[in-house]
Amino acid sequence: MSAVAFLTRRRGGRGWHWTDVVTFGWLAAGLVLIFGPALWLLLSSFKTPAQLAEFPPSILPYASRSAMVDTGDGPRLLPLYTVELPDGTTAVMAEKNRIGIMANMVRPEAPDEVVKVNINARQPLREVAFATGNYTTPLQAFDFGRYLWNSVFVTVIATLITLLTNSMAAFALSKYEFKGRGAVMMVIVATLMIPLSVNLVPLYSVVSAVGLLNTRWGVILPTVATPTGVFMLRQYMLTIPDELLEAARMDNASEWQIYWRIVLPLAAPALAVLAIFSVVWRWNDFLWPLIVLSRKELFTLQIGLNSYAGELNVHWQFILAMTVVSIIPVLIVFFFLQRFITAGIAGTGLK
Amino acid sequence: MGHIRLEVVRKTYGPLEVLKGIDLSIEKGEFVVFVGPSGCGKSTLLRQISGLDRPSSGRIEIDGRDVTDVGAADRGLAMVFQSYALYPHMTVRDNLAFGLQNNRMPKAEIASRIAEAARMLEIGHLMTRRPGQLSGGQRQRVAIGRAVVRDPTAFLLDEPLSNLDAELRVSMRAELAALHARLKTTMIYVTHDQVEAMTLADRIVVLRDGAIEQVATPMELFNRPANRFVAGFIGAPRMNFLDVADAAALAPGQAMPGAAASVGVRPQNLRPGDGEAAMTVDLVEALGTETVLHGRLASGSRVIVAHAGQMAARRGDVLAVAAEAGKLHFFDAADRRVEA
Amino acid sequence: MGAVLAAPAGLLAHLFDAPMRLWQRIAGRGGMIAFFLAPNMAIFGLFVIVPLGLNVAYALSGGTALFLPQRSYVGAANFERLLTCGDHMDPATCRDDLFWIAVWNTVRFVGLQVVVLVGVAMVTALILNGKIRARGFWRAVFFFPVLLSPVVVGLIWKWIFQRQGLLNWVMVELGMDPVNWLTDRTWAFLFSVGISVWAHAGFYALILLAGLQAIPRDIYEAAEMDRTSPGRAFRRITLPLLWPNLLVVIVLALIRAVQVFDEVYVLTGGGPGTSTMYLTQYIYETGFASSLRNPGVAAAASLLMGGVLVVLTIAQLGLTRWRDRQ
Ligand SMILES: Nc1ncnc2c1ncn2[C@@H]1O[C@H](COP(=O)(O)OP(=O)(O)OP(=O)(O)O)[C@@H](O)[C@H]1O
Ligand SMILES: [Mg+2]
Repeated sequence: MSAVAFLTRRRGGRGWHWTDVVTFGWLAAGLVLIFGPALWLLLSSFKTPAQLAEFPPSILPYASRSAMVDTGDGPRLLPLYTVELPDGTTAVMAEKNRIGIMANMVRPEAPDEVVKVNINARQPLREVAFATGNYTTPLQAFDFGRYLWNSVFVTVIATLITLLTNSMAAFALSKYEFKGRGAVMMVIVATLMIPLSVNLVPLYSVVSAVGLLNTRWGVILPTVATPTGVFMLRQYMLTIPDELLEAARMDNASEWQIYWRIVLPLAAPALAVLAIFSVVWRWNDFLWPLIVLSRKELFTLQIGLNSYAGELNVHWQFILAMTVVSIIPVLIVFFFLQRFITAGIAGTGLK
Repeated sequence: MGHIRLEVVRKTYGPLEVLKGIDLSIEKGEFVVFVGPSGCGKSTLLRQISGLDRPSSGRIEIDGRDVTDVGAADRGLAMVFQSYALYPHMTVRDNLAFGLQNNRMPKAEIASRIAEAARMLEIGHLMTRRPGQLSGGQRQRVAIGRAVVRDPTAFLLDEPLSNLDAELRVSMRAELAALHARLKTTMIYVTHDQVEAMTLADRIVVLRDGAIEQVATPMELFNRPANRFVAGFIGAPRMNFLDVADAAALAPGQAMPGAAASVGVRPQNLRPGDGEAAMTVDLVEALGTETVLHGRLASGSRVIVAHAGQMAARRGDVLAVAAEAGKLHFFDAADRRVEA
Repeated sequence: MGAVLAAPAGLLAHLFDAPMRLWQRIAGRGGMIAFFLAPNMAIFGLFVIVPLGLNVAYALSGGTALFLPQRSYVGAANFERLLTCGDHMDPATCRDDLFWIAVWNTVRFVGLQVVVLVGVAMVTALILNGKIRARGFWRAVFFFPVLLSPVVVGLIWKWIFQRQGLLNWVMVELGMDPVNWLTDRTWAFLFSVGISVWAHAGFYALILLAGLQAIPRDIYEAAEMDRTSPGRAFRRITLPLLWPNLLVVIVLALIRAVQVFDEVYVLTGGGPGTSTMYLTQYIYETGFASSLRNPGVAAAASLLMGGVLVVLTIAQLGLTRWRDRQ
């Protein structure tokens, strides 16, 4: 029984205690504040540039309806409007052309009969429609397809390397006694304190000295030797009984086999947590790739988005759509693996 | 095959000397049991033999070959761990096959060995399960099976039955005895349990503080303990230790060797309702098959009497008690056995 | 996933097995330990330890060159430039006014953000730990923003705060005038705090929730039997028992807040003017982006920030130990 439950329980289930009101209010506000912006992003990402420029905005993405009308010089696609006619009736009409505030409109079924209409007396005829071009255009015509691939590459490779190197080190540090083990652990714990942001300048020079500037490996390598990962995996491996390793030694297993066939499979839960975190970390990395990468074709999605958003002529429709795309992997992780993550955070304070 | 010799094997952990020069020769096919109080170094000794640890000094031979510096995998031994140490992520079959695969044994041979062990241990129906899906007794069988398929020169077992409940322990004990009778492989077995030691062993090695106190057959150990420690350690309830005067009162006709400083007599060798010595009963434990009386002699010395069968006695009763003729054990001032 | 990975993993192990055995024979167990440690420690050494040492070298040298041999030793000049002020409270009197603007911006940010963040996380944790339906769902809701990238967080809110955005629509609907939120110094600062709370509160709520769930239920039941009032139960039971976790969370939040950069940079770019420019952005721009690039000053500033972080982290490690002992 928790504190709040304790509070609510005192009312014996009858009536609304103030804590119930607070709880309800907080949860409702949380839901709106958290998913509202995300939903708004999603809806906006399907709007045409014209619609994005509208104020006040509409909630749903719409597209103007139009119809093929033959006005004498061949069939043309004309926008449709709901028009209030002088006689008080309304009709759906297509705009043939417009002069000042007056538009020449025709009925699609009777294209020869032109009516002059004040543009304030008509409403564009719209229907809910998704401007999927916002998604396909940047992926095909702009560099976003490439950015997406770069992000996937960096994330997958960095995560695989992280899992392998961290688990090997954690294995050595948890299952062998050797001189200097304490020192190695000390170094690892000490570097837990040094975030990347403190090392930017010299790290940049190291990466440039080894020729990794403006390469995807320059993004990947400095991030993979995560002390957090080594630390967490070691904690987990310490719980694997040494007798299992001894049994394997009696079974003539090599040390490599002990690592690969016994310890790694048994550390799978911890590896899964680290893998999920690594994917999220690397997918979301911003500052370091921003520094290492200056060639556009190497940009990750995050850097690409930021650079597009910083341009003078901002194509919001593309930025919004690509933002949605960049959330997709995170959403997948969120829906399927949320339990692992929350357990991981609760257990280790990892982030 | 399976002759194991230890020569002055020592093991130290920093300043702590855990094994203080162990000399021991184990014949091929023998069933040897290590017993001793907790922390006396039984597991440590077994680990030196297994090769999982290297002795700080001394020599270990298997079948005449010096294996002191040979790794665990190459000594040809198999071990059954107290916690079973089954690989939790592998099926029973894979658990059995793992070691054989590591030795690059042909698949057909692996299959036939596993089939044979499965038949012998009746674990054939468990092959596709994982250790987590087995009962304690089944895990135990698989752990033994994993050792059996290796066809080792000797089995090393470290308290293999201690995680089982009492009933299962009895039946597994019998099965182990049968297994040994059938395989005729050397077995070295560590236990806390006297009954296991007495029933299974060809010879028992009694350890104390990293040194061997006595090596002997179970009956010899019981009948002729080499010193007070062994005498007290083997047998339940524990042997009574009395001074010479009390002993003379319990066994009036018995001649005492001059060197005797203390006298031991097993509770089973004390007969209530007989003789001249008087015992005041403090506690009665009626077990049905046996009645155990805790009491005091006239001198104030405490004694325990075990009477086979049932008897009517109550706290506060004063009973006559006498020692059976020829059943006294004599120890000198250094606690060594003195022959009558 | 396991099944898909199993086949190639098995093959890999098989290929590796023979050379590994050979290496083990040659190098012994010590060689294997070295083998297991080598990849991680090599990467670690090259990209963490070496830069750490170089940081000092950069901080003590001057010029715009990035290649260390081309830089000249200037002693503590970079630190002097950063730390010399007529009045430290007034950046205009400082030799490097931008640095002190960033410092005071960061101080204000940290002060406000940590309080709000921990407060929000605490209330959320208490409510999630309460008697609510679908606890798992609600926990997921509050956790959702934690997974979003800073760029996404920045862009989502930039889109809402823009002149013709959702927020101004709400203002108009409520009968107020639209505001140009991100060009207003005060609003930009408040929103930089707001979005970072939005993005991170779920994480801290989760840690606190774990702490709350570790408090045995029967304590509350005993308190209830003793007719303890709810407020009193919170003050006398929940708070003391949660205190170790709360301290860890506060210090962790402090450490993160000092380094604030990503989402705010995407949202405001440090503006308007310099009103949301925080320390990390100062380092980034001094080191890499601005035309007045000065790696030495950037390194010196990193070291100063690093010093603060080390103190905070040592406090955090100490607290974590202390908590785990409790
Ligand atoms: N790795 C080690 N480092 C230091 N001391 C050790 C180590 N292993 C064992 N010891 C010590 O050696 C002594 C003997 O231990 P051992 O495990 O052999 O006892 P045991 O006879 O098997 O006891 P038990 O019956 O409780 O299993 C103990 O005092 C133990 O603390
Ligand atoms: Mg033991």
